[in-house]
Amino acid sequence: MRRVELSVVIPVGKRVDDIEALHHDYRRGLDRCGLTYEMIYVLDGDREEGRQLARLRADGEPLEIVKLGRSFGEATALMVGFANADGARLMTLPAYFQVDSNEFPKLVAAAADADLVVARRWPRRGGRFERLRRDGFHALLRAITRQSFRDLGCGVRIMSRRVANEITIYGDQHRLLPVLAAQQGFAVREVDVAQSAQDEFRGRYRLREYVHRLLDLFTVFFLTRFTKKPLRFFGMIGSATVALGGLFIGILIVQRMLFDMPLADRPALLLSSLLLVLGVQLFALGLLGELIIFTHAKDLKEYKVADVIEARGRRKEPGDESTQDAASAAGPSDYPDYPRATSG
Amino acid sequence: MSDVPRCDGPGGGARDDVELSVIVPLYNEEANVRPLWEAIRTALAPTGLAYEVLLVDDGSSDGTFAEAAALPAAHPEVRVVKLRRNYGQTAAMAAGIEHARGRVLVTMDGDLQNDPLDIPRFLATMEEGYDIVVGWRHDRKDKLWTRKVPSRIANALIGKVTGVPIRDNGCSLKAYRAEVIKKIPLYSEMHRFIPAMASLAGPRLAEIKVRHHARRYGASKYGLSRVYRVLLDLLAVKTIIGFASRPAGWFALLALPALLISAASVGASLYRVLALDQPFSTPIAGVGVLFGALALFLIMIGMIGELVYKTGDSREDRMSMLTAERTAGAVRMPARVVDETRDAL
Repeated sequence: MRRVELSVVIPVGKRVDDIEALHHDYRRGLDRCGLTYEMIYVLDGDREEGRQLARLRADGEPLEIVKLGRSFGEATALMVGFANADGARLMTLPAYFQVDSNEFPKLVAAAADADLVVARRWPRRGGRFERLRRDGFHALLRAITRQSFRDLGCGVRIMSRRVANEITIYGDQHRLLPVLAAQQGFAVREVDVAQSAQDEFRGRYRLREYVHRLLDLFTVFFLTRFTKKPLRFFGMIGSATVALGGLFIGILIVQRMLFDMPLADRPALLLSSLLLVLGVQLFALGLLGELIIFTHAKDLKEYKVADVIEARGRRKEPGDESTQDAASAAGPSDYPDYPRATSG
Repeated sequence: MSDVPRCDGPGGGARDDVELSVIVPLYNEEANVRPLWEAIRTALAPTGLAYEVLLVDDGSSDGTFAEAAALPAAHPEVRVVKLRRNYGQTAAMAAGIEHARGRVLVTMDGDLQNDPLDIPRFLATMEEGYDIVVGWRHDRKDKLWTRKVPSRIANALIGKVTGVPIRDNGCSLKAYRAEVIKKIPLYSEMHRFIPAMASLAGPRLAEIKVRHHARRYGASKYGLSRVYRVLLDLLAVKTIIGFASRPAGWFALLALPALLISAASVGASLYRVLALDQPFSTPIAGVGVLFGALALFLIMIGMIGELVYKTGDSREDRMSMLTAERTAGAVRMPARVVDETRDAL
């Protein structure tokens, strides 16, 4: 059933460069790798590039086109692409120039001993503000997840089938793929590659983008650190608020006792009670989270077995067997959620 | 010793040919793997039991896996489970428990501080009719102030809060009937609370003294920093246990103090206005309203909690875990030290 060695998935979303030039550039790079490959373009909604791609396909270019009913975001487009891919390894490429395609063989070579290889554009152009924003994002990410990635914005990645099967991303969480994969215990490597000469984002980042990136960070914070122990997370904030509220109340009571300042006309009493109440509420929410985890503990197995070695010989766990849940026990190409819709 | 208590019943999942599984989580214990295996073999050979040793490599970064993986070829009793990365001791134990085939499962540390020579005594105690036997390192060979004192306080607290007075929750050397332990959800850092969680199922619990050795190789992987985490975990466990015995009531219990504070504040505020003829005090009445709202909030959370508890995916499993032993007519016994006199130390 594996027809090719490498499946290349290209989500076509909001940002698109000249798709014909891009396609030919990618073909040149992929031909250099010496692998059999297929190319799958996933159109995120109704996009005019579809016509260009259809024309390329009619001209005999080996490419498949998958079209989503409406725009679901780049991450969903990737998942649909993976579901339709037959390759043993999966490669994601952006629909715009990011990486010099001459560097593809380097990435393929690096993928031999890693589950996921992410390209890092280096050396990288860009103004001072641009660099500051980038470094700020990655520093924040490092502080939160203790993983050091330096170019999550790069859409060039190569991964094994297991990574694609075990990680579920949606919306625009595609940037977080390497973070979540590392969290699942996959070997993730960052490889420096030359930036494409045409990599240039002409648009402007709006405030909304910043808010979304911050929300991404928050999601990843919760997903990677506290999924199995919600009380640690809520308790952390809760105990801080309770401590603060308790301190205030203590001060008020001492002032009442020793300095005879009546409590009745002190609004600070309200503030400190509010803090206490908030803290207790946070704890209660954390406990509720713990209950949810407890009642689902049988299904949320937190470890993944890589290998079982017995006298009868080495039995390699196929990775998806270890979780034994429906999602990963299903074969690579039967995602129930995504239609296998290829249109010419 | 050959007639180890059998675990009949649907939940056992045991294979007929293995009576005992010894589960050892290993994290960067390169130098300890071989001595550990030798020690276990020496200890178990005289018993004539069909046993297996499950070495769980918890994503070690040193040569632990290579050392362990070399064993099964020559010693078919050894099975090695390698985790994909470091997940922590509880997860490693859970992985071992999942892969174990024995009717009785024994867990122990991989650092040689537990003595495998104690295992036969655990089995003997189980034969007396206990479901879980926990070790008590009554003569601990660890640093006093950073390890022993915090541990003693923690154990007293855990015993008090969970109502399962075990003297040494931190001792990894424990024996379980497979059917009991396989039903207990293990996650986060719950290994410390297994006896408490198991008390939900009402199994008979015993505590016996075990030997404890100073560390020979490698470094200890614990520190004082866990105190805060243990406290929070304890609160979580208490909630879970509290929920099992009286759903929703547990949060209502938490709401009670809030309700009292609220009543007192509102009362004081009214008393000031009506009896003392003082001006109405917004802060004091406000405190009453705030805490009243908190009480309501907690009761509501309790209701959501009940909803969660009743609809959890593993509900049937839990129900069987809660009822299996009770329907058998077993009485929940407090833990006791079984062989204070039998110690051959």
